[in-house]
Amino acid sequence: MKEEAAFIFSPEQLKYKFHQDHPFNQDRLSITNDLLFKIGALNPSTIIPARMATLDELLLVHDEDYVQAVVGASEGQFRSSYRTTYGIGTEDTPVFPQMHDAAAWLVGGTLEAVDQVFTNGYKHALNLGGGLHHGFRGKASGFCIYNDSSVAIEYIRKKYDARVLYIDTDAHHGDGVQWAFYNDPDVCTLSFHESGRFLFPGTGHVNERGHGEGLGYSFNVPFEAFTEDESWLLAYKAAIREVIAYFKPDVILTQNGADAHYYDPLTHLCGTMKMFQEIPKIAHELAHEYCDGKWIAVGGGGYDIWRVVPRAWSHLWLEMTEQTDKTFQSIPSSWISQWEKEAPVKLPEEWHDSEGIYPDIPRQKEIIEKNERMLLKALKPIFDKQNIYKNS
Amino acid sequence: MNLHHIMKKEVISADPTMPVYKAIELMDKNRIRHLPIIDENSYLIGIISDRDLRDVKPSIFENNNEKFHNLPVSKVMITDVITAMPDDFVEEAAHTMIENKISCLPVETDVKLEGIISETDLLHTLVRLTGANLPTSRLEVEVPNETGKLAEVSSIISDHQLNIQSALVYQSFETNEKKILVFRIQSLNMRPLLNTLKKKRYEVIWPVDLEMKV
Repeated sequence: MKEEAAFIFSPEQLKYKFHQDHPFNQDRLSITNDLLFKIGALNPSTIIPARMATLDELLLVHDEDYVQAVVGASEGQFRSSYRTTYGIGTEDTPVFPQMHDAAAWLVGGTLEAVDQVFTNGYKHALNLGGGLHHGFRGKASGFCIYNDSSVAIEYIRKKYDARVLYIDTDAHHGDGVQWAFYNDPDVCTLSFHESGRFLFPGTGHVNERGHGEGLGYSFNVPFEAFTEDESWLLAYKAAIREVIAYFKPDVILTQNGADAHYYDPLTHLCGTMKMFQEIPKIAHELAHEYCDGKWIAVGGGGYDIWRVVPRAWSHLWLEMTEQTDKTFQSIPSSWISQWEKEAPVKLPEEWHDSEGIYPDIPRQKEIIEKNERMLLKALKPIFDKQNIYKNS
Repeated sequence: MNLHHIMKKEVISADPTMPVYKAIELMDKNRIRHLPIIDENSYLIGIISDRDLRDVKPSIFENNNEKFHNLPVSKVMITDVITAMPDDFVEEAAHTMIENKISCLPVETDVKLEGIISETDLLHTLVRLTGANLPTSRLEVEVPNETGKLAEVSSIISDHQLNIQSALVYQSFETNEKKILVFRIQSLNMRPLLNTLKKKRYEVIWPVDLEMKV
């Protein structure tokens, strides 16, 4: 049987490291890969290496002066404009040696994933090192230097002339990608996130719908804080089906931040592993239904690197490669013993979270209702259009 | 923040001879509810609003409708226009609009029309003042209504090397013993700051911590 999915990874991607105490920790890639090895879901010899994105590729989206500033900062230069104009050297995105190279390797991984799908005959490809969705054209923001997804989408547009549906399930709004394609009718962005009233970056309001020719090609579904699986998944399934039927993309790019889980220290949502099992399942189905299987997936946020990220991202790869039966067994003890000394928390033994990992939420009914209203608002332009067709 | 920062500078206006029906068309086409009337020197001589037009419009049961539609706007415009100046503060303008129960203010220098602001512009300004249009995290702290509290909290934020995009201070709705401070901070990771505030026993209202004070 020909493999349908490509797994992209290179050790260079681990060098995207701000400092020891920074919450964005790429060790999660090693921990996840090891889990996949130990359950026999990934063979090290089949991993396709990432590559370093070239300057020209970065400039598909990023401004030249910004890239120069990142290169300068990587070489130890410092100017006060780095912080104010370019967002480099801030608490969120501090300078670290060779940061340009490391960031360019993450972008290159996503570009490699694109090429594997468009020219090497794979249906799907995964670059867990990507998903840095806060990066702007000319500014670093929220742990992100270069925006691999934005660069990859522009690369797809230029090289393969395909229309892209970008689906972002990180707990934070996918602002960088949204603004990069806000005027573009051939790129549709759909972001599910904790409401900007509560969480960084504060945007992602339901009324952000695109601009100019791109009006109607940006969708946002913001959730109340403390939203649980059921309410989240209901909105996800409904929105993704409506938007894909409306936009009819040639390829899907999903950003799979794993920070909407209850354990995540930076957000206030109450997802469990069930959510991270369902998210790729629907994306996979729809990729086959609408895009002849073309599906590129990247990582993203995820700050509980022990209890959440390895399992969540394994679910993603298992779905992509139709090996979900591997989760019928417990997590192998060899993986636990490999990492438990480093982990400050008890590592999970099962693939799913048991009931009651968090206390009852008194406002639950109100939260569900608010989310439902928000969903209807988000999809209103689609429903309005459908009514016009029906009536004419 | 002054009016010249937020006003619309390309004002859609009419000259006094324009017939009423044309003025209505112009307002409909541009989806505006107020039309300043200016003479050949750009001097503001009057204004008409959709409400004024409704008030003077003859009933559909009378048949002098056509006569009305062909009237020049100078016959129906209001001439004692309430205006503002480009250097007025935004809050002054808002106050003037509330006091006079009007929803738009032409902005003029020496009677020359320079811009216009509407209620919508003021709402945009509100969003801007709260900093909600920039990539930020929100922090809300309740402090005693005493001198120096804002300085205390902002110096803690500064100790963490975080940039404040906006700050609001207002009296608590419950008691005048307390003030609410709302910051929009340019950072995704608020945890170190929150830990410090908690250690120093500040009353953090948002974000709610994971013990789920819902």
